[in-house]
Amino acid sequence: MNIVVASGKGGTGKSMLASSLSLLFSKEAKVVACDCDVDAPNLGLWLGVTSYDIVEPISTSEKAEIDSEKCIGCGKCFENCSFGAIEKIDSKFIVNPLLCEGCGVCKIVCPAEAVKTKPVMNGEIRIKKTVWGFPLVSGHLKPGETGSGRIVQELRKKADEIDHDVMILDAAAGIGCPVIASVTNCDYAVLVTEPTPSAFSDLERILEIVNHFKVPYGVVVNKWDVNPPVSEKIISWSGDRFLGRISYDREVVNSIVALRPVLASESKVKSEIISVYEKIRNLLHKQ
Amino acid sequence: MRLVASTGGKGGTGKSTFAVLYALKLSKEGKKVLLCDCDVECPNDHLLLGVKLHEGKPIYQDFPRVNAEKCVSCGLCSEICKENAIFWIKGKPPMIFEDLCSGCGACWIVCPQQAIERKKKAVGEIFETRLSGNLWLVTGMSKPGVSETGPVVKEVKKRALELAEDIGVDVLIVDTAPGTHCNVIQALLGCDKAYVVTEPTPLGSHDASLILELLKIMDVPSEIVLNKADVGDASIIEEIIKKYGVQISVKIPYSEKLIKAYSEGRLDRMVNLL
Repeated sequence: MNIVVASGKGGTGKSMLASSLSLLFSKEAKVVACDCDVDAPNLGLWLGVTSYDIVEPISTSEKAEIDSEKCIGCGKCFENCSFGAIEKIDSKFIVNPLLCEGCGVCKIVCPAEAVKTKPVMNGEIRIKKTVWGFPLVSGHLKPGETGSGRIVQELRKKADEIDHDVMILDAAAGIGCPVIASVTNCDYAVLVTEPTPSAFSDLERILEIVNHFKVPYGVVVNKWDVNPPVSEKIISWSGDRFLGRISYDREVVNSIVALRPVLASESKVKSEIISVYEKIRNLLHKQ
Repeated sequence: MRLVASTGGKGGTGKSTFAVLYALKLSKEGKKVLLCDCDVECPNDHLLLGVKLHEGKPIYQDFPRVNAEKCVSCGLCSEICKENAIFWIKGKPPMIFEDLCSGCGACWIVCPQQAIERKKKAVGEIFETRLSGNLWLVTGMSKPGVSETGPVVKEVKKRALELAEDIGVDVLIVDTAPGTHCNVIQALLGCDKAYVVTEPTPLGSHDASLILELLKIMDVPSEIVLNKADVGDASIIEEIIKKYGVQISVKIPYSEKLIKAYSEGRLDRMVNLL
């Protein structure tokens, strides 16, 4: 059973909720928690993880290099690169590694065999048995590298190798490649939003991805009380997909400052999160 | 013209809030300002300004389509595809999974039969809005389902730079997506300065250090904008300030008034926060 937590907009409370759901599910099932926000992985912090048992460098991307001795300056690579990664300096062409996606088109079109592609170590997969008894598998993209979607695919493979009943996936913000790689092949999506027009607009955008992959979903309104009228609008829009509301509480911020899960605090949001969890569990039991 | 970015690594730290407030402030001071929303997956600047977007111009990119009649089932396309987006069984034409395809074009270049045709697909839209006499907004919006959004950002920024040149703006402010990958890199390219918007929590500090690492590689000078400065623990940010030799240039306190103005698309009421 794969449950993904996503939102479109950043900062709505995905990692907070994903960490809480992992803890709650782990009381009655074997859980593996996955941090799929490889650009900015924060799930570990919500579980009090500051160091890892296993850190495995991985390579999911390549970069092109042009040999300036061999380059004849024809510009075929420049014309064919879809990512704007080829730059002209004087009469020669060079690759901007920050933009190169490693697709290899430049190498294919080069008549002078001046281009080579080389694998780069663009990230890490980190694994930690948390103090809460279940493992966390976390993906990390190196700043300046590309291939975040493929790091998500790799970390999901790693997580699948670990014996589990429930996999909780914490997705990145946005609706691009790393998010698509997180949502695909999931059994349920928990969409977290907050009562602002921005978060609502982004919720509608992530929903297009979730619907595209035909993943059943539910909606959670976080910090609902900072703007009750907009919350009500989102709740009625959600209809029977509505899973519950979570209040704004500074105790949540204090929890993360202390690197402590929200459920281990005295915050009033605890009971609200538990009720969201129970609703999800009951829904999935029926399936 | 100065090109500055509002970025931050983590989502929801206030990148758009800062970008919009800064654009409003500079325009109030009489400068010609163009705000470019490069968070194309989830663009929100227009919502914070309470404006509706009209008449989007489509951005096209070529994607492959197999012409089964020409295909000899050699499998070269499947072999060359680094995205594993082409599935091929011997004796059959390949199948292309558009969800995985980045549109790089390797397949149609290697196909010896020209059996892979280029099919134009809209990957996003660009919207131009004149907000006042001296303030413009260029918004990029990717089409849901488009996986590689870096090329969309590239087109949006290109248009913003053209427009900025035409109208002779003083400052172009680029608002980036969260994270550090290709869509953010495209947005940060060529910027004279980046404002790293973060919050005083371990999450904010962790993600700010990742974007500062990227900005260091890209050689873009950076400053910190500390949002919700009084919620959490400001000492958490000290470490990254030391490590990257950056300064906090703006502090924005947590404010219910700001949240309300944000929700109502009336950030113009909060310009004096900066």
